[in-house]
Amino acid sequence: MRDKTDYVIVEFSKAILIYGLIALSLIGLGFYSFITLEHEGHWITGMNNQVVWGLPHVFAIFLIIAASGVLNIASISSVFNIKMYKPLGRLSALLAICLLTGGLIVLVLDLGRPDRLIVAMTTFNFKSIFAWNVFLYSGFMAVVALYLWMMFEARYNKFIGKVGTFAFAWRVTLTTGTGSIFAFLVAKEAYNGALLAPLFIALSLLVGTAVFYKILFWMDRGLDIPMGSEIVKRFRKLLIYFIFTVFYITVLSHLTNLYVTKNHGYEFFLLFSLNTYSLLFWGCQMIIGTLFPLLILYNKKLSESAVGILYASILVLFGGFTMLYVIIISGQAFPLDLFPGYSESSTFYDGVEAAYIPSVYELMLGLGGVGISAAIYLFAIMVLDFTPKSLDNDAIALAGIPDPEPKIEENKEEPADEESKEELSEENQDNKQPKAD
Amino acid sequence: MYKILSIKIPLILFLALYSGSSITHENINHNIDASSGDKCVEPTDVMRAQHHIFINHQSHETVVNGIRTKKYSLKNCINCHIKPLADGTYPSAKSEEHFCTACHIAAAAQVECFDCHASKPYKKVAKKEEDAQN
Amino acid sequence: MKKYKIKLDRRSFLKKSGMLGMATLAPGVMLQELAHGRAPDEPASSKNRWGLLIDANQCSEECNACVTACNEEHGIEDFGRPTTDTQYIRKLKLTNESSGESLTIPMMCQHCENPPCVDVCPTGASFIRADGIVLVNKHTCIGCRYCMMSCPYKARSFIHENLENQVPHTPRGKGCVESCNLCVHKVDNGENTTACSEACSKEGHQAILFGDINDPDSEISKKLNKYKTTEVRSDLGLNTAVRYRGI
Ligand code: SF4
Ligand code: SF4
Repeated sequence: MRDKTDYVIVEFSKAILIYGLIALSLIGLGFYSFITLEHEGHWITGMNNQVVWGLPHVFAIFLIIAASGVLNIASISSVFNIKMYKPLGRLSALLAICLLTGGLIVLVLDLGRPDRLIVAMTTFNFKSIFAWNVFLYSGFMAVVALYLWMMFEARYNKFIGKVGTFAFAWRVTLTTGTGSIFAFLVAKEAYNGALLAPLFIALSLLVGTAVFYKILFWMDRGLDIPMGSEIVKRFRKLLIYFIFTVFYITVLSHLTNLYVTKNHGYEFFLLFSLNTYSLLFWGCQMIIGTLFPLLILYNKKLSESAVGILYASILVLFGGFTMLYVIIISGQAFPLDLFPGYSESSTFYDGVEAAYIPSVYELMLGLGGVGISAAIYLFAIMVLDFTPKSLDNDAIALAGIPDPEPKIEENKEEPADEESKEELSEENQDNKQPKAD
Repeated sequence: MYKILSIKIPLILFLALYSGSSITHENINHNIDASSGDKCVEPTDVMRAQHHIFINHQSHETVVNGIRTKKYSLKNCINCHIKPLADGTYPSAKSEEHFCTACHIAAAAQVECFDCHASKPYKKVAKKEEDAQN
Repeated sequence: MKKYKIKLDRRSFLKKSGMLGMATLAPGVMLQELAHGRAPDEPASSKNRWGLLIDANQCSEECNACVTACNEEHGIEDFGRPTTDTQYIRKLKLTNESSGESLTIPMMCQHCENPPCVDVCPTGASFIRADGIVLVNKHTCIGCRYCMMSCPYKARSFIHENLENQVPHTPRGKGCVESCNLCVHKVDNGENTTACSEACSKEGHQAILFGDINDPDSEISKKLNKYKTTEVRSDLGLNTAVRYRGI
């Protein structure tokens, strides 16, 4: 099928200048933090021998799952053949590359020996999920780049469906891989749940959609790429589905954990006691990040305005970020129980909740990653025609009109493993409903 | 027991490239003590060009297999070649008076060894070894 | 709690039966070998598996000798920042929740036979040596700290600052992860002890016994067979080389 959308190369403007400067200063902050860390060592951060992964990892994983989430929009158009998302395909793939790059850079710069990156890329222990992730990430880049090429080259447009399907399967695997980093930590109660990978996938869809909407809104206001009410409506629907999916899996995982006796300790720590993490969980993740956006999305007035959905997206991003923070940090802060039946104490913080207060360096490093994502995005839209000329209702409707001589091939899904199959069907359900609308 | 699969090709390539570059040592103040013992473990020109290869290889053998032969061991290089300062103490690798640093600055090649390794002889060990030699 | 049982896979079984054969055929050779340890050019061998037996009954609550000795042996500095300072070994105080009785034990890397830290390490820097000692190869460690996340015993520390004046037998530097190395330099030297174990005996406690748990005639093996000992978190099936008695 032919791409009927007009794309433009974005011209330099005030909006680009302002956001470019913001992005560059974030990169500057990140770089400063990296240099300081390299020089001083990690003791200046809040991370320590008990909480070994801190805010930088939250940022990195947030960006990485957002990367796989934004690609979802392209998948909806080419895999599930809902054509009205088609004009967003190129942007979707571009954003995926930008966000992944930003996330990976944060991850690398936080290493104790970032200078040995070459070792990490050449010496692999194939038993480690981390090593596999190196392949998953670099492969993702390659697949998405190929996908973009197919979209740009008119004569290859016919392959978009196939490559898109492959990219889709890859990104589901990638998010599963990211979730599995934690799922393999057998000794840590917090990560015991089998639902960690599905949770990450659902969260990636949610966060990706919210990021995407934020960009579209910015294009509308800053770049004069009008966004029609049709888009707003669609994104509202997507946000609602994904918020419910994430909420459902979160509830399910806590219920199963409560059912398994050996995980009670952590569940009580997180859900029913008073500490930073329970406050973040209930206050930020559940109320601000889940309830509030839903209220907005179901409010008659707000749900129809572009700004209302923007607020919902921002709250969702905030909620998603705190959710990762809670998962990653609280799991480490919760004390290990080495000797059941005994209470433990030592100079190494056995038996007590480990303290973690993020430092400004970690914040700067994380923001630096966001800055890198933004800078690549801004640069890319100014050199290649990623951006649809218009996203108003007419343009969207035009993209949705089927070709005169329909040669639509049915996309056959053959996911590699059972897990992705499961996810796929879940996604299918999610996506069927906006279509039926 | 589980064997770790690892790909070492880039390391070897890197070393091969490195050993190819030869450095003129003529005008450098070596700060190296060449007087202890009759001769080094290999001829001087071989050592100049390839000492890092020997050391790298040895480091792997020691860490992974527990082989602690003295020939090619970094500890041995230092114990033998370091020149004490005027006050009888030993320079650390941070100072140019250290024989490794002196030459590596001139050759503009980074030494990573002393991020972790001791750059001076250890008092107790040095004494023990001296005793053993006597 | 379970009685200690040496696990045998096929390979080590063959080796061991070979060894027994050797013992009966030429006991003199064996004895000589044991007395002198390995030659410097001989690699560590899976004939041995080094471990510790820690007797909680002998460990005194006030004593910290093993920790001090370890820090001195490996040149571990105290930066006065307890959350980030390295600890290879720590004194763990256990209080029985029902009886209120308390005891102390030293806790360190348990030198697991199936170490999670080795499984998760992306570069293979965490590895288990043929003789069962779990080490970090600081030449390939990238400082990702995944191993620290995975260790069930919190045995590992990350080096948070620039170091100087390391001791030659324990190279360590900023940005890498480290943990108890069972005094591998002493093991390689045939000293058959560790700094902590020596210090403990010097204090007159004998709470830490070092030895080869693959050698049925070693003191540690005999004790492991005789007494009831505990593997910490045995539910994880890691088959640790450090065992506890009296818990
Ligand atoms: S105790 Fe921890 S560090 Fe030691 S071998 Fe086991 S998992 Fe690795
Ligand atoms: S910190 Fe070092 S030893 Fe630990 S998992 Fe990472 S690379 Fe391996």
